[in-house]
Amino acid sequence: MKELRFRIILILLAIGISLYLLYPTYQAYQFQKNIDRTVANRIEQIKKEDPQITKLQIDNKTRAIEDSIKSSDPSIGQAFQKRIKLGLDLQGGMRVVLEVNTGKLLEKIAKSPDDNFKQVMAQAEKEASLSDESVVDIMARIMKSKGIRLSRYFGNIREDDAQIISDLKKDADDAVTRAIEIIRNRVDQYGVSEPSIQRQGTRRIIVELPGVAREEEAKQLLQGTALLEFSLVKDPEFTISVMKKIDDVLAGNDSTSSDTTTAGKAETKVAKNETKKDTANQKMTAEEFAKKHPFFSVAILNQKSGTADAYVKADDRDKIKAWLDRPDVQKIIPDNCQFVFSAKPFGYQNGQAFYTMYCVDKNPQLTGGVITNATATISPESSSPVVNMEMNSDGAAEWARITGANIDKRIAIILDGVVYSAPVVRTKITGGRSEISGMSDLKEAQLLAIVLKAGALPAPVDIIEERTVGPSLGQDSITDGFRSTIIGFVVISFFMIFYYHRAGSIAAASLVFTILFIFGALAGFGATLTLPGIAGIILTIGMAVDANVLIYERIREELATGKTIKSSIDNGFSKANSAIVDSNITTIITGVILYQFGTGPIQGFALTLIIGIIASMFSALVIARVIFEYMVAKGIKITLG
Amino acid sequence: MQIFHNLNIDWLGKRKIFYVVSISLFLIGLISVIVRGFHYGIDFKGGTEIVMQFQKPVNISQVRKYVENIGLGTVELKTFGSETGVLLRTELQNIPRNIFPKILTNMDQVIQTVAPGVPYKITDSTASSVTYSFANPDTANEMVEKLSEAGYQTGKVSEEPSNTQVVVNVSIAEWIKDNLRQKMPDNSFKILKEDHVGPKVGNELKTQALLAVFISLLGILIYLAFRFKFIFSAGAVLALFHDTLITLGLYAALYGVIPGLNLEIDLTVVGAFLTLIGYSVNDTVIVFDRIRENMKIHKNMPLKEEINMSINRTMSRTILTAGTVLLAVFVLLIFGGEVLRAFSFTLFFGTIIGTYSSIFVASALVYEYAERTKKKIEF
Repeated sequence: MKELRFRIILILLAIGISLYLLYPTYQAYQFQKNIDRTVANRIEQIKKEDPQITKLQIDNKTRAIEDSIKSSDPSIGQAFQKRIKLGLDLQGGMRVVLEVNTGKLLEKIAKSPDDNFKQVMAQAEKEASLSDESVVDIMARIMKSKGIRLSRYFGNIREDDAQIISDLKKDADDAVTRAIEIIRNRVDQYGVSEPSIQRQGTRRIIVELPGVAREEEAKQLLQGTALLEFSLVKDPEFTISVMKKIDDVLAGNDSTSSDTTTAGKAETKVAKNETKKDTANQKMTAEEFAKKHPFFSVAILNQKSGTADAYVKADDRDKIKAWLDRPDVQKIIPDNCQFVFSAKPFGYQNGQAFYTMYCVDKNPQLTGGVITNATATISPESSSPVVNMEMNSDGAAEWARITGANIDKRIAIILDGVVYSAPVVRTKITGGRSEISGMSDLKEAQLLAIVLKAGALPAPVDIIEERTVGPSLGQDSITDGFRSTIIGFVVISFFMIFYYHRAGSIAAASLVFTILFIFGALAGFGATLTLPGIAGIILTIGMAVDANVLIYERIREELATGKTIKSSIDNGFSKANSAIVDSNITTIITGVILYQFGTGPIQGFALTLIIGIIASMFSALVIARVIFEYMVAKGIKITLG
Repeated sequence: MQIFHNLNIDWLGKRKIFYVVSISLFLIGLISVIVRGFHYGIDFKGGTEIVMQFQKPVNISQVRKYVENIGLGTVELKTFGSETGVLLRTELQNIPRNIFPKILTNMDQVIQTVAPGVPYKITDSTASSVTYSFANPDTANEMVEKLSEAGYQTGKVSEEPSNTQVVVNVSIAEWIKDNLRQKMPDNSFKILKEDHVGPKVGNELKTQALLAVFISLLGILIYLAFRFKFIFSAGAVLALFHDTLITLGLYAALYGVIPGLNLEIDLTVVGAFLTLIGYSVNDTVIVFDRIRENMKIHKNMPLKEEINMSINRTMSRTILTAGTVLLAVFVLLIFGGEVLRAFSFTLFFGTIIGTYSSIFVASALVYEYAERTKKKIEF
């Protein structure tokens, strides 16, 4: 018995870890059921109140309510983050591959493009559509063959072709980074849950938007044009007085708790029900404060900073947005100002990201079309990162006026509605060249430079591949997949028990563990379950018992030579080892290659296959063996059919 | 119960029969590939594919008649799943020039319905989009919303506040959907799936797929050469070629023959082929493993007897292991739904052929080599 102890502990550990990793998936499933019910009730109610409501509005409301419930309780968010995610082919959604149109970009950068240039570009784009070569290289080659120097259209006259080519390539590369930043920014604001935005190769971007119901709307998010604005940040006194008014309105409404028509109210109620246990332990004072000053309890002011920038938890942003949209709050906010959030969190506390909320002028002083260039460097004087921004002559004149009138005030740089930086104006800037400092590192400076260029140089992107799976097909696939898994399991188990009797039922039992390990590992790796992934699991069920078959056949052979059951089992396991390992490794080799080669769904298949093979080897060589040895030690009769 | 108990057959003596069987299977496959060719799915061919689910059962030939004369040339049509599902596909990337005027008139009507009397002009049109210019920025913003609401992919040309231009994308998918909505007003549909793949992507994928298959074979060749002898590894990989090529031949031969089975080569099918390569070598390894073991025990037994004995002794487990996988794949073939059908089919027939070649081809090749070169193989 003793020699089994270590292995039994190992097995229990593997089972325990799998169950632990799978718990969030179960939790998320329960949460989702509750959320769906709440949302359905709310929508039902909204429909009753407003029968004229359009489908688009309902979609938006559904999304808003769902998001705010999810963000109201951190444990929901955590469960969703750690659960096994479903691929786009199962939950429905959109996968888009974008390619930055370098040709169009070059046309925009070129100085005085004439017909000759357009001809060259047309030819270059034609060639580029058929090969992988960079458009810049193709264009340079055509120019060379026609005897045109690149400096005629790009850079300045003193630069040679090689220098210009490398500059243009950098511009093309920047455009991809810019497009990614713009898209990420928009997708975040749009509220798509768990979007994935990845760069592929030199100029492609893969965007995956799960569960997007409205394709047209989603595709708009993916365009490369963006709005860059420079807006004055309001004075702290002004901002605080507006915030106080909002706070009063919210606190006043809170006491008349019969009011359930506003969305924000109903959501906090739901949130309260679900977080009751957590909040009950907190001090009463915090709760009292939240009741008296609902706005200031989530938008936290720092008295010492001398600004009215409020710090808001990532999860509270939706709550604040809902409050600000309420008609009674709208009434008291002055017409000339608006609240905007920072694009990136400025810091973290207790695992929660904090964002800055600014109050800015509603009408921008200037929009980004005037910016001609922006670069991030380390300033030689202060040796800290800075961004150098250049404007065209129209912009420079305006900028001199704006900066001159607002010395020591702050100007927020806003892209598509979120603030990337809010530097203080130190002096009047003439000539259009400005230096922005105050970034914590060069990376942040580079991001700001990218953003500044977004207004002037949109990154033109083409959709080169687009796949949409409707939610109903996804649902059908889930049903088909899980039904097949269960049928596959039952059929194989039945066959094993029929053919190998008691030993067969051990194989069937270890199959249960194999499946448990596969799902546990999927959750642990944060992998995505796709339809081919489910197929991989079913296939693994068929392959997993191969190891059992090899071992049992071997044991039978050993028994036939007249050995005892104990030594037959020992020999069976050890002699079948090499065949099992060798044959499984070949499958793993192709699995790894498949993972490298495939995209999305196919990768899911490759992953489940690899995990499945490893799990099945563990089940057959360790779990089944322990059960066998235990039965032998206890004198339980083992039948092999 | 025990199958193939105490089998004692001289398989290698009959190897000529298996050569004939394999070569004829291979030739049949090759001929069908040459005559009938492969049918690639949208992943490789590029183009547009729409799967729609109608409310009521539809008559495919009726739908075909509707889409035949909308100017897209031949549009492929198939049933998808049940009789309410329809798959439409065209290889065209963009709307042909000659039907562009029709689309513009159609758009005119749409703009008139969503915003009667609004003045506008067309400033630009490309193969996939039309740019409209409106009187002022407010109207432009309103039009973006209205046209989006009406189901058109619409966007502003620039986000600057002074922007008055609006781009409407006109894709093939939109054009087909528009036409079907008009021609079948009493049978509405929803979109189950919509794919659009550019031509470059398809070509890249083809190269990658071939490369993946090649690297897999190479990986197996190297691993087995390292674990056994090179000649064994070469035999196994030749058997794999045999399995892959015959299954591919079957693809060409059976395309469009069995109703409800859509044998197109797409990414999932390539995945199935790679899995097949990885799995079908398993049975070969089982036989080789036994040969290796026997050679160590009976050093002086003739190779022929050695191999025959190994095949006979492992026959039951080879059949059983393949059998359990076939059971699982069969379940997938029947219950796995439309999307996985070709995938399951590949694995089902591939496994059968793979098992056959493991038993009768791979070891025979090793024996053939040893006989002809008169070399002694030892472990």
